[in-house]
Amino acid sequence: MTTTAAPAAPATTAPPAVVSARGVVKRWGSTVALDGADVQVGRGVTGLLGANGSGKTTLFGLLLGLHRPDEGTIRVLGLDPSTAGPEVRARVGYSPEHHSLPPDVKAVDFVRHVAELHGLPRREATGRASDVLWQVGLGEERVRPLGTMSTGQRQRVKLAQAIVHDPVLAILDEPTEGLDPVQRDDMLALIRRVGHDFGIDVLLSSHVLDEVERVADGAVILHAGRVVDSGSLHELQASNAGGLVLELDGDPRELLLALHRRGYRLEVTKGRLFVDGGPDVFDGVRDELARLALPVRRLEPRRRSLEEVFLAAGLVGGQARQPDSEPNPATGADAAAGAVPPVPAGRRAAP
Amino acid sequence: MTAPSTSGARIIDRGYRRYEGERTGRGGAIGTLWRQSVQRAMGLRRSTWAKILPFAAVLISYVPAVVFIGQVALLPDEQLEVLELPTYGDYFPFIQAALTLIVAFIAPEVLCTDRRTGMLGIYLASPLTRDSYLVAKAAAVLTVLSMVTVGPPLLMLIAYVLQGVGPDGPAEVALTLIRIVGAGLVLGVLYTAVSLGVSSLTDRKSFATAAMLLLTLVSSIFVGVLVETTGLPDGFQALSLLAGPFLLVKLIHGEVPPVDISLPAALGGTALWTLAGAVVCRVRYQVLQVTR
Repeated sequence: MTTTAAPAAPATTAPPAVVSARGVVKRWGSTVALDGADVQVGRGVTGLLGANGSGKTTLFGLLLGLHRPDEGTIRVLGLDPSTAGPEVRARVGYSPEHHSLPPDVKAVDFVRHVAELHGLPRREATGRASDVLWQVGLGEERVRPLGTMSTGQRQRVKLAQAIVHDPVLAILDEPTEGLDPVQRDDMLALIRRVGHDFGIDVLLSSHVLDEVERVADGAVILHAGRVVDSGSLHELQASNAGGLVLELDGDPRELLLALHRRGYRLEVTKGRLFVDGGPDVFDGVRDELARLALPVRRLEPRRRSLEEVFLAAGLVGGQARQPDSEPNPATGADAAAGAVPPVPAGRRAAP
Repeated sequence: MTAPSTSGARIIDRGYRRYEGERTGRGGAIGTLWRQSVQRAMGLRRSTWAKILPFAAVLISYVPAVVFIGQVALLPDEQLEVLELPTYGDYFPFIQAALTLIVAFIAPEVLCTDRRTGMLGIYLASPLTRDSYLVAKAAAVLTVLSMVTVGPPLLMLIAYVLQGVGPDGPAEVALTLIRIVGAGLVLGVLYTAVSLGVSSLTDRKSFATAAMLLLTLVSSIFVGVLVETTGLPDGFQALSLLAGPFLLVKLIHGEVPPVDISLPAALGGTALWTLAGAVVCRVRYQVLQVTR
């Protein structure tokens, strides 16, 4: 079973978790879709990262109470979706991965219908459907049948129906799938607005690292049904495993020599000194700086891109690593129990 | 200086607003889905083509009853006395075509489309459960079917009353009404369950339509041949999807059916088909993976 790091919350005090899952196992026949996943999702926008077949959609199904976990416990907004599914779903918006929507239904009718399904009175649902379509940039297009809309417009409609009933949490499954770069940027900006301006917490899945990096406050990295790393984006990027970045006032040569003698790998780029090493690197650099009495302009953990986080976790290119074991017949991904990639140093690893 | 005109001004972007009001819960969701499904089945808020089949079905079932009322209203008394209107049981063959249209073409639209368009995932991400979703869908199909199984016999009641051969007194009127509604609902429930059971097995409406027509024909031919060749009692006709329900309707209205069949046997056959359809549909939806 994997164990993960802190909640993906940007706040300074520990806020209540929007989603909390412990030791979740879900099997589809002989396929293990989730294999002891521990997930904590805090306020704001959280990205669920993983290759196709890593268990993202299965996790969403469990959070919505559409399936029961074989093992483990799940809390969404403080409720158990297995037993209080309707109550959870009334407060959650969901945008599915697929693009197919009823082609002969107008966008505004579709969004209003979803609002009514979530308990809004008809009059309120009608007003909000129009309003929210304006918010996602489809005000002028709201009376067009869904079948005549482009993929980008349909993604916006899906986002609109996920937030029309003012949910506490919006779960967005691959919201940028099929979009061109410009549409993708617009969609990411919209999602950020939803998470920060509208006050709706967002959990979005993606297999594109860059997207999560741009829009999310936190991330959960899923691989072959296991959470290999999670936390706020700040924590993930600033892990000790990434080393330090240092800027000095003065000549750094003496320090370079000293650190080299300690065995740290060094790199100097544009006046910045990057020091790679294990968890003790901070102490080592501090001691040398004190010994040499060098004035420091900047000393902070080196921020890694999420791609580096992925690579550190053994996930090449963000795709599911193909282990020696037999591939998962249902998803094409590895779901074998022994195929957990190495967890980065400095993080708690699975037993 | 003139004041700026505000006559054409309107707010088109009110921003995102919180909703603090009451929510209607699962009951409201079922009601919403039921209403939307009935509208969809009847082609409302859809293209003209989508309206043709459901309105044709309703028309086919009502036209004979309207014609009979017209005859009763317009014919002179001496001709009215010799006019023989069909009994309630005899009227049902008039609505056979309408029932077939609804069961084979309209019911699959109600169920298959949601799976094919991915709407099922959106519905089940609302307060609806799999069971409450099916309840709403079944209620929608039953509503449409009841339009043709209950409405026309009610018109026939008017025709009988106008002719002066209708039920005598409030008690008999009430009994007749109960029989009309009961027979219509029994027929509606049976065909709702069977059509949803068949439709639950495929995402494609055309496959569901073909399967429904085949099931109706094959079951009826099979039962007919079985009774003819093996000498089984006529009561087994209750298992025919074509003949069985109409024999039951005759029995409910207190009429003599053309074959020797008892009310329990006819009810048993209908219940068996209803149960089979409902079980197939429910089991299918319990195991469906919907988040993909």
